Amino acid sequence: MLPNFNNPRVYVSLLSLLILLALPLAVQSPFVYHLAIQVCVFAGLAAAWNIVGGFAGQLSLGHAVFYGIGSYTAGLLVAKFGISPWIGMFVGAALSMVAATIIAYPTLRLRGPFFSLATIAFLEVARLLVIYMGSWTGGSAGLNVPLQIGLPWMIFREKSAYLFVAFGFLVVTLWVSWLVRHSRFGFYLIAVREREDAARAVGVNAVRVKIAAAVISAALTSFIGSFHAMYLTFVEPSAAFSLEMSIQIAMFALIGGLGTVAGPVIGTVMVLPVAELARGWLSAFGNGTHGFVYGMLLVVTVLFIPRGLVGHLGKSAQRLIDRLPSRRTDVKTNTTLAQKTSPARHQGKPVLKAEGLYKRFGGLQATNDVSITLHAGEILGVIGPNGAGKTTVFNQLSGFIRPDQGTVSVLTEDGQWITPTSPETFARAGVGRTFQVVQPFAGLSVMENIMLGAFMHTSDKAQAKAIAIEVAEITDLTTLLDTEARGLTVGGMKRLEVARALATRPRVLLLDEVLAGLNPSDVVRAIEMIRRIRDAGVSVLMIEHLMQATMALSDRIIVIHLGRVLKEGQPADVVNDPEVIQAYLGKGYVHAQAA
Amino acid sequence: MRSLGATVSIFIQLLLNGLLLGGAYAIVSIGLTLIFGVVRVVNFAHGEFLMIGMYAVWLLAQHFGLHPYVSALLVALLLFVLGASMQRFIIQPLLSADPHIQVFATIGVSTALLNLALMVFGADVRKADVVFGTESLMVGPLTLVSGQLITFVVALVVAAGMHLFLQRTYTGRAFRALAQNRMAAALMGVNVNSTYVLAFGIGAGLVGLASGLLAVQYPVFPTVGQYFVLTAFVIVVLGGMGSLPGAVIGSLFIGLIDSLAGFYIGPDLKEVVYFLIFLAILIVRPTGLFGLGRGSE
Amino acid sequence: MIKNLKRISAVLGCMTVIAITPAKAQDIKLGALFPFSGGLALLGDESYRGVKIAVDERNAAGGINGKKIVLIKADAVDANQAVGEARRLTSVEGVTAIFGSFASGVSSAATQVTELAGVPYFELGAVADTITGRGLKYVFRSNSTAKNFADRSIESIIKVVAPTLKVDPKTLKLAIIYEDGPYGTLVGGFQKEEAKRLGLTVVESQAYSGKSVDLSSLVLRVKSAGADIVLQTSYQNDTLLFFRQSATAGYKPRAFIGAGGGYSLNDIAQTLGAAIEGVYDVDFPQITMNAAGAPGLKEFVAAYQKQFGIQPRSGHSLVNYVGAKAFLDILAKANSTDKDKIRQTVLAYRQPVGSNAAAWGFHFGENGQNQLASTNLMQWQHGKLVTVYPESVASAKPIVGN
Repeated sequence: MLPNFNNPRVYVSLLSLLILLALPLAVQSPFVYHLAIQVCVFAGLAAAWNIVGGFAGQLSLGHAVFYGIGSYTAGLLVAKFGISPWIGMFVGAALSMVAATIIAYPTLRLRGPFFSLATIAFLEVARLLVIYMGSWTGGSAGLNVPLQIGLPWMIFREKSAYLFVAFGFLVVTLWVSWLVRHSRFGFYLIAVREREDAARAVGVNAVRVKIAAAVISAALTSFIGSFHAMYLTFVEPSAAFSLEMSIQIAMFALIGGLGTVAGPVIGTVMVLPVAELARGWLSAFGNGTHGFVYGMLLVVTVLFIPRGLVGHLGKSAQRLIDRLPSRRTDVKTNTTLAQKTSPARHQGKPVLKAEGLYKRFGGLQATNDVSITLHAGEILGVIGPNGAGKTTVFNQLSGFIRPDQGTVSVLTEDGQWITPTSPETFARAGVGRTFQVVQPFAGLSVMENIMLGAFMHTSDKAQAKAIAIEVAEITDLTTLLDTEARGLTVGGMKRLEVARALATRPRVLLLDEVLAGLNPSDVVRAIEMIRRIRDAGVSVLMIEHLMQATMALSDRIIVIHLGRVLKEGQPADVVNDPEVIQAYLGKGYVHAQAA
Repeated sequence: MRSLGATVSIFIQLLLNGLLLGGAYAIVSIGLTLIFGVVRVVNFAHGEFLMIGMYAVWLLAQHFGLHPYVSALLVALLLFVLGASMQRFIIQPLLSADPHIQVFATIGVSTALLNLALMVFGADVRKADVVFGTESLMVGPLTLVSGQLITFVVALVVAAGMHLFLQRTYTGRAFRALAQNRMAAALMGVNVNSTYVLAFGIGAGLVGLASGLLAVQYPVFPTVGQYFVLTAFVIVVLGGMGSLPGAVIGSLFIGLIDSLAGFYIGPDLKEVVYFLIFLAILIVRPTGLFGLGRGSE
Repeated sequence: MIKNLKRISAVLGCMTVIAITPAKAQDIKLGALFPFSGGLALLGDESYRGVKIAVDERNAAGGINGKKIVLIKADAVDANQAVGEARRLTSVEGVTAIFGSFASGVSSAATQVTELAGVPYFELGAVADTITGRGLKYVFRSNSTAKNFADRSIESIIKVVAPTLKVDPKTLKLAIIYEDGPYGTLVGGFQKEEAKRLGLTVVESQAYSGKSVDLSSLVLRVKSAGADIVLQTSYQNDTLLFFRQSATAGYKPRAFIGAGGGYSLNDIAQTLGAAIEGVYDVDFPQITMNAAGAPGLKEFVAAYQKQFGIQPRSGHSLVNYVGAKAFLDILAKANSTDKDKIRQTVLAYRQPVGSNAAAWGFHFGENGQNQLASTNLMQWQHGKLVTVYPESVASAKPIVGN
């Protein structure tokens, strides 16, 4: 729940953060206080935005709507009903969370800019409605917060009190941000952001995860909005529901580094004080100079340091920091590992049944009455010429495509047959799969990639790590556990695909051309790996083009041609079958014997 | 209370106003939907392109006495260059990055251009002093401004022309191919980069044309683009991103809403009405009326 | 480490800038907080010019009790910046008092800061009534408020517009339309109240979004309600839009009455051409008043012309000048920087109506508001904005418009 305070990265960050407090207290100038409070507020807003914009990768451009809801709710409750803003801010947060769900639910299902545009639309509607209902919100003229001094009213004479409160909000926001980043939820967010399909294949409910991020972000933003209203003691619609502010906080997060915990704070600290001071100086050059510089700064940042300061300088900073002394306490690994899959109690019995699948794409009947049964402990090879529809069938067996007709049923651990309908439900039912075009989570390490699969059954990081280590042994990745996934060879990436799927403890594993593109020695290793997997109790269904490997591994082979099952049976029989040869090579080769 | 005759004639006048306003919106939205459909970038600087175009038109009218309808073509060319450059030098390097990095870039350009205009021209409103296009016409009991009619007609002509371009020419087909599947189009031999530059340029050029037409009716000031651009986004989503007929029909629809809601509900709430419609579309049918890509692509 | 270094250097930079502000012990420092950038920049700057002329004039006459007045400019476009700049002025610069602000939002926010800091705030141009309506002790305002604007406009209908049209005001149908920002909403709201109080008929009262591209439906509403008089509170773009679209729709009210904003600007008048002829406008006193009723007006215009090379761009410089002059007078009389002494002096300060370049008087109420500030009724005649009411400052007689 809390970061490890002995780790130099943690204590250096905390010390740096404390400068925000220490400096104004030392200098004792109200202006420096104001600046520090601004930094705390905007850094907090940027950090909150980052949860949905950076971690989840959903660009909210109207985020100020939550700030505005927080400001107005707290302001109205204290002005009209005398309710303390400490309570008012929770009410505001609740409203913001509802608003976030309303915006996010329909739009986060979609890819593309819809969420961004929806947040802008919501922002405008909120602003216009607040103006319209002027009789009780104060309308455009704004709402004056009554100047009642004291902690219950969040209004103080001493600036230092404001600073402490603002700092407190910032710390809470950063703590939530840190929690998100280092929890299973954070892993899921990053996975969904990078490769939504692969994430769903390991059981992540992508939509729910994205909405959760939006809701958390909204609540935090709202809290800060409530505080700020008390600080300014004046709320007005165009400032509270401001498109410029929404863009500004996103910009701070971008400059600092999206998707990192420290990024938003660093971005704010770098830009805000300089901007405030430069404003007066720049105005001398004429109206708009200030805004022009902001715009150019954004363009330049995007072109040259898109990963932000943390993204580009973070590694070297971390290296320096890591040299500092630390008292790393030994982390006790949980020695009771998750149980291995019980050796197939149902040896020989069906575990996956596809019955009468049909699928049409426009004018093409891609799947034409395909029925496949996979038995426990068997390796079933699926072959067929290119374009036969093998991957389409695969996608129907794993929930990525819904068949027009027919059902796919999976036998769960307790012996029930269920018919899942989406990738994540298939995954949770025990069907793991790899992708033909490898989809590793490039920015994560091999260990973290595999842990993503393990998270389907545990939310504990230590346990997930243990599972990952175990799986890495089976898939020959033990030496590569700490490398970044983007640095692997093709062979390594393919094994990583398999490992990630294995970490979900599947009973059925679908392998989509996992041997393609491997050199001969890698092929040999892969064949041994697949055997180990089967011996561990997992039934395997594999699409392959490498005939030798398929022959060596498969207990049974199915041939798919033009969307239908052409032949099914023992490897030797199928391969020598004249119809199969004709399908692959054409009539002229029917009489040539297969090796 | 109004008589039935008066009520009806008001209603018809509102319809007319709405359609004509739709024409103005259409000519702005066509470029936006093209850029979005082909290059897949949400161009937040679109409004500022319009603003720059309108300033250019105003300058040409002030100093050379050129009527906006004449300078429209010149300005279209100017904006073509501007749009193409923006794509080439700012968006292109970012094509492989996260989509929201690109959005930040367009936002940055938008902010920079707006404030640049503020620095150079100041905050005052400027209007080209022209006569042709500002005359009021009477059609029975209905009134309209000649410029509105011209804008409407030109919008339809341009939309038709673009449609033909997209359907019949190689480049047009390349645009549509890129809109549907970038990788496949590239594999088919379409030069992705130069086609994108062309698309962005044409999209911006269309806005340049729009600025010439709109300058006759509307004054220009640094933030004028923002008045149009949010509505243009609503229209583009409503009609389906990348769909030309969608942009036109969406524009007419929004124009009608603007007019009718403005009268029957209230001018301070009409924006709420069409933002709510926008949100509803996103929920019910995010691909819009005629969307090219699927909503979840 | 690097994070630390960067943070430290950024903050050190800030501190250096703060430290470099020269100050001489025998100067009196006064803040000038206006929007110098952003959408309100033009009039914010114009307001500041009035203050500057007043300060220069005073300094030439020996300053405040021998001390030179140093004006410290501060730019604020919104509440956030207003708070920051107010803090800077009161703490870093240590000003004795602050002049401001033209923009009500800036003023509202900044005064909350100055009140808590115990620094007097002299508001010279913002109109929101709430600025002096919150029970703050050290906020004083010399200019007229939104309510003054509204009341004057309704009064004008009864005293000027109706007689000029030769009709009974009670038979006139009014339409009150306003942009939905703070300025429009305040004035429009008070106009509705005052009209009701005086028994006039309001057939349409409507806010509209200031960012509208099209107001044709609003025009139709007003037209079909049969309004004879349109009272509009608007900025530049919406004024133009409404006029043009009214012309297109064939809607010609018997009179337009604006409330400052776009209605007072020469640029707008030029763009509208003949359509502006006869249009009324209630606003701060303009320089086109009858100088006989406004002593010092000619000298002010001359001073402005000399320093800035052009004629004043609006009435704001004039009212800021008059207000600043009075407050400087008060500071001299108080002979102290103590806030309570200053307050005492303000409340005791009396000047009769018609005693300065804006033809105002000075009498501050307990809430700090000058009760003898006024607005005048102007009318566009032959492309110039002339004052037609009250008679003491009228430079022309009202005419019937086109």
